Amino acid sequence: MSNDSKDSMQSTTESKTPTVPIWIFCLLLLLLYVCGTYFDRNSGWFDDQVYAPFQNSDEVAAYQPVSGAAATKLEGQKVYSSICAACHGDSGQGKPGQAPPLAGSEWVNAADFKEAGEVPQLGLNGEVHVAGQDWNSQMAPMGAALSDSDLAAVLTYIRGSWGNKGADVSAADIKAMRTAIAGHPAINGETGLKAIK
Amino acid sequence: MNQNEKDYSAIDASCRVPLLPLLGGAALWLVVGLLLAIVASLNFHNPEMFANCPYLTYGRVQPAANDVILYGFAIPAALGVILWIFARLSETELALPIVPIAAANIWHLGVFIGLIGILVGDTTGFQWLEFPRPAAILIFVAFLLIAISAFATFGGRRERALQPAHWFLLAGLFWFPWIYSTANLFLIAWPVRGVAQAVVDWWYVNNLLFVWFGLVGLGVAFYLISKIAARPVQAVNYALFGFWTFILFAPWCGIPQGAPVPAWLPAASTVASVLVVIPLLALVKVFAQTVSGVNVQCKGGPYCYAKFGTVMFIVSTLMVISLGCPHFGRTAGETWYVPALQYLQIFGFLAIVVCGGIYELLSPIMGFELPFAKFVRFQHWFFMIGVAFLVVPLAIGGFEEGLKMKDPNVPFGDIRRATLPYLQVSTAGLLALLLGSLMLAANIFSMIIRWKLGLVKTVLTAVQAPLETQEVKS
Amino acid sequence: MKTGFSVFIAVFVAMAFSWSGFVLGPVRQLGTEGQTNILNSSDIYPNQRPGAATLGLQVYRSYGCAQCHTMQVGQEGVVCDVVLTAAGNKPAAVSNLIATLQLTGLTKEQADAVSGQITAAGGKTETHIVPTGADISRGWGMRHSVAEDFLWDNPVQLGSVRVGPDLSNVGMRYDVNWELMHLYSPVSEVKSSTMPPFHFLFIKERIDGTPSPEALPLQGDLAPPAGYEIVPTEDAKNLVAYLLSLRVNVPLYDAPFTTLAPATEKKK
Repeated sequence: MSNDSKDSMQSTTESKTPTVPIWIFCLLLLLLYVCGTYFDRNSGWFDDQVYAPFQNSDEVAAYQPVSGAAATKLEGQKVYSSICAACHGDSGQGKPGQAPPLAGSEWVNAADFKEAGEVPQLGLNGEVHVAGQDWNSQMAPMGAALSDSDLAAVLTYIRGSWGNKGADVSAADIKAMRTAIAGHPAINGETGLKAIK
Repeated sequence: MNQNEKDYSAIDASCRVPLLPLLGGAALWLVVGLLLAIVASLNFHNPEMFANCPYLTYGRVQPAANDVILYGFAIPAALGVILWIFARLSETELALPIVPIAAANIWHLGVFIGLIGILVGDTTGFQWLEFPRPAAILIFVAFLLIAISAFATFGGRRERALQPAHWFLLAGLFWFPWIYSTANLFLIAWPVRGVAQAVVDWWYVNNLLFVWFGLVGLGVAFYLISKIAARPVQAVNYALFGFWTFILFAPWCGIPQGAPVPAWLPAASTVASVLVVIPLLALVKVFAQTVSGVNVQCKGGPYCYAKFGTVMFIVSTLMVISLGCPHFGRTAGETWYVPALQYLQIFGFLAIVVCGGIYELLSPIMGFELPFAKFVRFQHWFFMIGVAFLVVPLAIGGFEEGLKMKDPNVPFGDIRRATLPYLQVSTAGLLALLLGSLMLAANIFSMIIRWKLGLVKTVLTAVQAPLETQEVKS
Repeated sequence: MKTGFSVFIAVFVAMAFSWSGFVLGPVRQLGTEGQTNILNSSDIYPNQRPGAATLGLQVYRSYGCAQCHTMQVGQEGVVCDVVLTAAGNKPAAVSNLIATLQLTGLTKEQADAVSGQITAAGGKTETHIVPTGADISRGWGMRHSVAEDFLWDNPVQLGSVRVGPDLSNVGMRYDVNWELMHLYSPVSEVKSSTMPPFHFLFIKERIDGTPSPEALPLQGDLAPPAGYEIVPTEDAKNLVAYLLSLRVNVPLYDAPFTTLAPATEKKK
């Protein structure tokens, strides 16, 4: 039988032919799991903007260098969220009975930034009409302790966010404004605000 | 038994005329390719040597050598062995015998045009695909023709059940036309834009040097080992499992880890390289079990070729896996480690297995013994030494280079100086391979000459015979 | 498997799988990419190479330069450096604080924390994004190579072995004269070079009255005989134009870094 033909091999199963054992399937599954984890962490999931050494699109976004206008906006956003958002809301929507909205406020969007800058610098107490609503509350001079550039940054941020279309404010502008109103007491309502020259 | 031998002698004889142009031409191209490779490596001994000759500048001679060895020797020789194996396994004569003859001529013409094209500067610029368009078309057509003959032979088989060798070799015949046409269409005919070209090229090189070589080389090796050991391939279910997982995972290797492409591409290659461990284990199991306990007096014959080649396949696959690992791949991925791997795949694995197949078939198809039987063993030794002296220094040199490149304080000039000795030693490896290839050519061509002389003698005898009887009569 | 047809099906499935992933996918994703913006600028990148450089790419291809030179800069990581831009109202406090902090080689979270601390103390900071890696330290590029860098090139020659240095950023390291001399005689510019000399890219011609302005300033053994000069061919000039157009020095979204005003160019 072994000499039947040197050449033709029987592919039919001999009684001794082992089946593929379980361990190789287990190993395959284990490797698939390991590889899946690796791919999940390192591939960026087919994003064409993610190149090694970055591992995902969030990391690429985080490491974008910020400069110029974008840097100022980021600064302003930081100041806003630490000082202003508590009362005026994260999106400048205001809080009923507490603080008027900044989004869509005619005081914020005015061509001249002065009124928008004087309020945080001096504080405002009393009646003021904002975006078709009457408000009567008290605001401490939250911006007085900020540096010129910080106050300028947060005003630029407010004037450029949430649909507001006010122009940027520079640190020099703020410095000039502060010199002009130095020593002024807290503003008394809308009339007091309009009275400042 | 006699009847069986007689059956095979008719089958073998039917292979003689179709296969000789393929195999003879391939042997010649191997010599030519190795000569070109030696010329290229002379640059590392004396860079000024070809300063005035644009046709022999390193950037042209090295790809010319690579492509001639690959497309001129490795692929056609493998196809010739496949045709014979199919005829043998089908137990029928080779079908459509004229087709491989025509195909061989078309093929060798294509390689010749390609070689000249590269040397005059008409290269495509893509690694392992440098042949210009006309050459590529000829090679593609020739491959299809040979595949047709192989399929026809396969279709006429007496025993309908498939052997493991069938799966691997059939898969190889399907695989090459797809990858070759894709590469040529997407890179040369209608080039894609930007770095996608590099991705297609890497895909093609991996599918050729790793997957196709693996399929064809393992198919031939399994056939040779089981034929010579006179036992069927063992652990057939492992072989099937290994075959399936190999063709599923291996084509996804090959993107370098440091490539300027989005991270998902090298990550996919890493995943594939790790998963390729599974088919490797399965195929090692098949090989080990088929070879173990076999009592074959090898003496440097085809059995030794097949065994050594398969072991080199295992080593080269481990190197592929290593390049898929992120840290190692970034360290060694742009060094001489990569060419070392490719040379191991071509010379260490495929060339050796195919030469084993050639030596197994030469004597049966010609009908007489090898004129230089001792050369078989010498060539085996020369190829082993050649592979060792070519691959090992480049791999070590490449790895060292990679380590030094990671340290920015090491000036590049120092790194270059340190790799030179390794490159110079590799020339010795090429020389050994050249000697081995000359032996192969000597055997094949002396057999061809002897056969042709025999034909001439037969013709002369037939022409002279009537005259003799007439003389006697008168 | 029982029949040839089932082998074909197996092959078809496996081949279609990898073909979709590594041919179809990248061609659709990378092959359809267009130009992109340079970070923090409205400039478009990349611009098409000037005409001579496009011809030079074909010379590069024809002589097989990619056999020895790669064009892919690698990057191992990215770090943040926090830089003080203004000391603010209390410079003494700020400088005391800075003395206790690590300002370079930070992750983004660490950098944000440090800059928060300094801002709280009254200073102003800027965070610089700095790519790290051996290639970048050698001056072979300012960031890793990305797909956009190769948008206009056909064929894309990334190379695979660094027998010679990486060329992605070579336009920032050398000038025309260095490149031409290096092509004619690499050893004259780089002592340990194994690059073959490309004499066939130059012509030896008789000096016609006044020497040509393009003649190479060759000395000693390299100099041509008296009355002759070595002049570059069109191919040589185009090749050099291509090499000098190779730069990896602009920040993009997928390869960000902070551009600093005149960066010191590091030596090779």
